[in-house]
Amino acid sequence: MEFQFSSDQLAIRDAVAKFLSEEWDLSERRRALDDGPVKVSDALWQQVVDMGWIGIAVSEDKGGSGLELLTSAMLVEEAAQVLFPSRLCSALASAYALDQCGGDSMPKLLGSHMTGQHFVSLAMDEANGDYGPENNSTRATMSGDEGVISGQKILVPDADVADHFLVASRLGDKGVLIKVAADAPGLTITPMERIDAQCVSELELKDVAFSTEDILGDADEAEAVLQRTYEFWTTLISADLLGVTTTALQMTNAYAKERHQFNRPIGSFQAVSHRLADVKMDEEVGRSLLYGACLALQERPDESSPQVSAAKAWLSDAATRATEAALQLHGGIGYTWELDVHLLLRQARSNAVYLGDADYHRKRIGAYLAEQLKSSAAGVSN
Amino acid sequence: MDLSFSEQDEAYRQKLRDWIAGNKDLATRTMKGIDDKGDRNPIQAMRDWQRHLYEAGYVGMSWPKAYGGYECSLTEQVIVNEELARAHLPPTINTIGLTIVAPTLIQHGNEDQKKEHLKRILRGDDIWCQGFSEPGAGSDLASLRTAAVVEDDQFVVTGQKVWTSVGPIADRCVLLVRTDKDAPKREGITYLLVDMKSEGITVQPLRNAGGGSHFSEVFFDEVKVPRGNMVGELHGGWAIARSTLDNERSGLSGVVALENNFKKLLELVEAGTRSGKPALEDPQTLNQIAQYWIEIEGLRYLGYRTLSEQLKGQKPGPQASVGKLFSSKLRQAMAKSALEIAGPYAALTKKSPHVLNRGRWVAGFFDSLGYSIGGGTSEIMHNVIAERVLELPRSVED
Repeated sequence: MEFQFSSDQLAIRDAVAKFLSEEWDLSERRRALDDGPVKVSDALWQQVVDMGWIGIAVSEDKGGSGLELLTSAMLVEEAAQVLFPSRLCSALASAYALDQCGGDSMPKLLGSHMTGQHFVSLAMDEANGDYGPENNSTRATMSGDEGVISGQKILVPDADVADHFLVASRLGDKGVLIKVAADAPGLTITPMERIDAQCVSELELKDVAFSTEDILGDADEAEAVLQRTYEFWTTLISADLLGVTTTALQMTNAYAKERHQFNRPIGSFQAVSHRLADVKMDEEVGRSLLYGACLALQERPDESSPQVSAAKAWLSDAATRATEAALQLHGGIGYTWELDVHLLLRQARSNAVYLGDADYHRKRIGAYLAEQLKSSAAGVSN
Repeated sequence: MDLSFSEQDEAYRQKLRDWIAGNKDLATRTMKGIDDKGDRNPIQAMRDWQRHLYEAGYVGMSWPKAYGGYECSLTEQVIVNEELARAHLPPTINTIGLTIVAPTLIQHGNEDQKKEHLKRILRGDDIWCQGFSEPGAGSDLASLRTAAVVEDDQFVVTGQKVWTSVGPIADRCVLLVRTDKDAPKREGITYLLVDMKSEGITVQPLRNAGGGSHFSEVFFDEVKVPRGNMVGELHGGWAIARSTLDNERSGLSGVVALENNFKKLLELVEAGTRSGKPALEDPQTLNQIAQYWIEIEGLRYLGYRTLSEQLKGQKPGPQASVGKLFSSKLRQAMAKSALEIAGPYAALTKKSPHVLNRGRWVAGFFDSLGYSIGGGTSEIMHNVIAERVLELPRSVED
């Protein structure tokens, strides 16, 4: 029984936090809001790659470090605390997807993704507002070993550096991930501007060609590979929301101690301190749910969706509340461009509705509970 | 991370489950108020039940063997708390004795006091109540005014206590009294052990908003308490009381209680209808119960984090103090939802021929309202998190 970080994991976390605080400044995001999407320089990205971050939870036989999935979430949480760009998060998610695949080509691509020669991104959300792989309308059709994909994906991260995308598509009655090259004929990439200044794009696919070997996972595994990747990436987004929550709380807590009104620090007023206590509660519950989701993914990936949804639903709401409280409790100065608070709020708002909003994830849990009730009723009647 | 229990722990759990299965009749008999002699005597039945539990090894598990305890591991204690809560067994009647009085005596009592009381607390021989709160001293407990005057080798106590659970049936009471009116308020309080049969004590049941009488008022009129019944030093009672109020727990047995509530709520949803359709097909109802499921999961993992820290001998982190605040909110929200899902009949009293489940939902609703008041109001819990976890400046100067 151990439900906290091991001393090795704590050492990694501290090293990651130290590196990020030296190499990255949260207010980069403000510049990016005026000058175009936020980017990691090639030199800095190479450092990230050289430290082995991308393969941290990739299995050892595929060249990774084989650590718990929790460590990937821990990296994303630390990165989000300083608003490091999404590139780390999408790199970890696609590494996980590729790690699920056997054969030749996918492990090879994973190898070069981990060393920084290639960058693989993922395309899941669609404009129709129906979240989740089961609601995708992007369609793949096949005849023999060849096929084509058509559809539209939105808010695809890091298209500026990606040479491949893993595109969630319907193939027959199954959902699958299909690898598509960034320069494939029929693929149009258009940048989208999001309030958090991350690099996100729209992908328009018109009869983009693929072959059997571009589908991630064997015929009987492909659907599970997509679902697991969705669960994992969603969990990383939850970790991002937690990191933002933590920074918002720390920033506001520090301000409440130093800002004086009526000759007292404002943090001595219960209207202020009780709201901060609520944010602390939100954060601790969120942290607990995130660890629970990571453990479920690690131990039973194909049955992890209730725990994954619990973390995402809670943290989507909690990060929103935390960043809104941060803005409110900073008062007038919190509403200015110069203060960092709105940068956190932007990231929280963006991720709260990414890969499923709180309502979508509660819907998944509701369906799970209804299913449980039905099966226990069936059990009784038998 | 790893949430599995060791093989040894699982064997312990199995042994406990076997005991529970083998004592079903005893549990049912206790619930009906029948004691060991076969008489209808609910209080005696509950004392007997606690003694059987103790003799089987499931009460006093963390206590030193020298005082009748079992010195079990923390994991074994968690297993017992979880399994007992899951099996819907009768509770232990002497909760205050077990969770407040005994830890205090083990830590601060003298040898005579330990020998006299601890074993009797374990066996349910003495039921204890707590005389801390007063009409004028609730959240601000240290302003209490029940006074004790030292006369020769005894204290003479006069004053009033309130919110005293199990008062009418208690044999003994842990009492905070003011022994120095002129000292700063935390430095003039003394901790006493009082026999409830002493002359001058009057107990009056106090009905709560839901109609039940779990509490009472206790009046002290020149009650004589031997000096040997003082715990710790004269005027040194505040620190002693604080040390057990601060007893942090992982809260995992509370999670099992919430899970039991949630199961009942699910049964309601399963049976209920919304706009002519099964409530299970109503998106709003599903959304709401999904939220409760999420929050119970959150509390469970919160509890595991605290337990992990305790197992490593670390001081519990901030998550321990958010548990009470969070769970009382959740309990109330679930109780309110239950009333809504059950529909208009849920608001009927037990006397109505149409009452649902013998009024369980209304009783649960009123019950839930007490959780954000007793044992530290939610407002005080906010202060605790703000001041001790976030280290914000104190809101109240005193």
